[in-house]
Amino acid sequence: MITFSNLIYRLPGGVAQGLIWGIMALGIYITFRVLNVSDLTVDGSFTTGGAVTIMCILAGVNPILALLISFIVGILTGIATGLIHTKLKIPAILAGILVQFGLYSINLHIMNMSANVSANPDRFNLLISMRNVPNAILIGIIISIVHIIVLYWYFGTEQGSAIRATGNNSNMALAQGINIGNMKVIGFGIGNGIVALAGGLMGQYQGFADINMGRGAIVIGLAAIIIGEVVINFIFKKGCSFYTRLTSVIIGGIIYYAAMVIILWLRIDSNDLKLFTAIIVTIFLAIPNLKVKKGGK
Amino acid sequence: MKKLLTIILSVLLAITMTACKTEQKEEEEKFVIGICQIEAHAALDAATQGFKDALIAEFGEDKLVFIDGNAAGDPATCATICNGFVADGVDMILANSTPALQAAASATTTIPILGTSVTEYGVALNIEDFNGLTGFNVSGTSDLAPLDEQAQMIIDIMPEVKTVGILYSSSEANSIYQVKVVKEYLESKGVTVKLFSFADSNDIYLVTSQAVEECDVLYVPTDNKAASCAEIIDSVCRPAGIPVFCGEENTCLKCGVASLAINYYDLGYTTGKMAAKILKGEVKIEEMPIQYFENPVKKYNKEICDALNMTMPEDFIPIGE
Repeated sequence: MITFSNLIYRLPGGVAQGLIWGIMALGIYITFRVLNVSDLTVDGSFTTGGAVTIMCILAGVNPILALLISFIVGILTGIATGLIHTKLKIPAILAGILVQFGLYSINLHIMNMSANVSANPDRFNLLISMRNVPNAILIGIIISIVHIIVLYWYFGTEQGSAIRATGNNSNMALAQGINIGNMKVIGFGIGNGIVALAGGLMGQYQGFADINMGRGAIVIGLAAIIIGEVVINFIFKKGCSFYTRLTSVIIGGIIYYAAMVIILWLRIDSNDLKLFTAIIVTIFLAIPNLKVKKGGK
Repeated sequence: MKKLLTIILSVLLAITMTACKTEQKEEEEKFVIGICQIEAHAALDAATQGFKDALIAEFGEDKLVFIDGNAAGDPATCATICNGFVADGVDMILANSTPALQAAASATTTIPILGTSVTEYGVALNIEDFNGLTGFNVSGTSDLAPLDEQAQMIIDIMPEVKTVGILYSSSEANSIYQVKVVKEYLESKGVTVKLFSFADSNDIYLVTSQAVEECDVLYVPTDNKAASCAEIIDSVCRPAGIPVFCGEENTCLKCGVASLAINYYDLGYTTGKMAAKILKGEVKIEEMPIQYFENPVKKYNKEICDALNMTMPEDFIPIGE
């Protein structure tokens, strides 16, 4: 039963899911790498995005418009974290956890107090669906490219540069007259907006939103970012441009899911799935460190 | 760069070559069945086992290949698993639980999908005016014990009851549906109903403690999370002297006094028999109505009933007999 042709047939599904998680990881990249803080809101805002999108679609909203609405709602969740962090002086990790906790109840309210709402792909015109994996990959790539272009442009503008400066060295940014509090709030907002949009894509892809769908999103996102970085540092030894870095995040997401597909394909007991993904991510995390050690000798 | 390209190209070449070489020389007559289950827990495992046993009884073990997929609680992993099944070209998918069914139904419109441990197919698959027949490649069994009978059971055993607390997980679609039906029935009989939902296993202790203070009796529906944490519920309710009625036998075994038992193994077995009919080509899955568990058995938990000094009516049998 375990044949290579089997694996080849399975991979497209993994790529489609990987693209969606890659887009989500772009959102995490903004907080984790650009702003240089860990934002744990994402486990909640991902579900919020899925819930909003599916509820909008059930209400007859166009699926693309539904994604935009979830993007905006996602921004609000990020702003909440940002304000708790900057105005109430609560550490960023804790602020994220607080909002993530609160979002559980809010997500239930969005889904009309049910844990799981589904949009039947036969009855609704969904943007992407598991029914048509090649199409899902195509749309995923288009949306990824749009994100990369917009983010590349945005972080070149005055405001975007100010956000980057805040992340690089907040004291220096403050000395330049940048309102670092506002910049952090905006960064959290955009990051979670993208995460929620990815949640909306995932909801459409699998045909339902579930209260547990965001569980572990932060881990997958960080894994995608770091896997992407390892790959990109291997190819471009002398550093690379910002849009290559953004692309690497998407590629990281795809590699992560490809690894999962391979684990499932090998028929490893799927109860052990989490252990094996943890091992794979650990290996990727360790590669750069081990290399440095070797070079230093 | 060149080096990298060479590596990538040679890997691709190797893969295509192996792909060409490995002909599908599998034993053609074997039925390949993909099983997607949301998480490991007693009731779901029992259903899967029943399903397998029914098929093995029908075809024999060497005619069947089961691919087990367990999503460890992540709905998105169900999608990955079901995608894999479609890619493998399995003959049938068993979707054990609601998210598994939804992922499978999204993944394919051609491979027959049988659900089990799903409470409401109409809700799960977003079908309007659901009449027990999906009309497409999905059928299966529902784990819904007659809810009005369950609610009546509480009143029969404890006629003087005033306030019933319903304890359930807010993260499960199945539970919320049951809670609604049971609440309406009890309220129509003049009983006050209070709802106590918990988000995850960390909250159960606190929420249950609150519930035993406010209610005479608790009811726990068929709920995966409550089933997993039934010991915690017991550790609060037994010392407080509050009896717990359960929607399902496995939960009742650990924390309840009585239940209208649905046996998940039998439910899975029924599903397996449906699968056999479809695999033999006797019935088309589109024409197969969702089956419910017939004649649920009235059961009670002797140990807890003794501890609470409760005597059960004659027609209840102790769990485990």
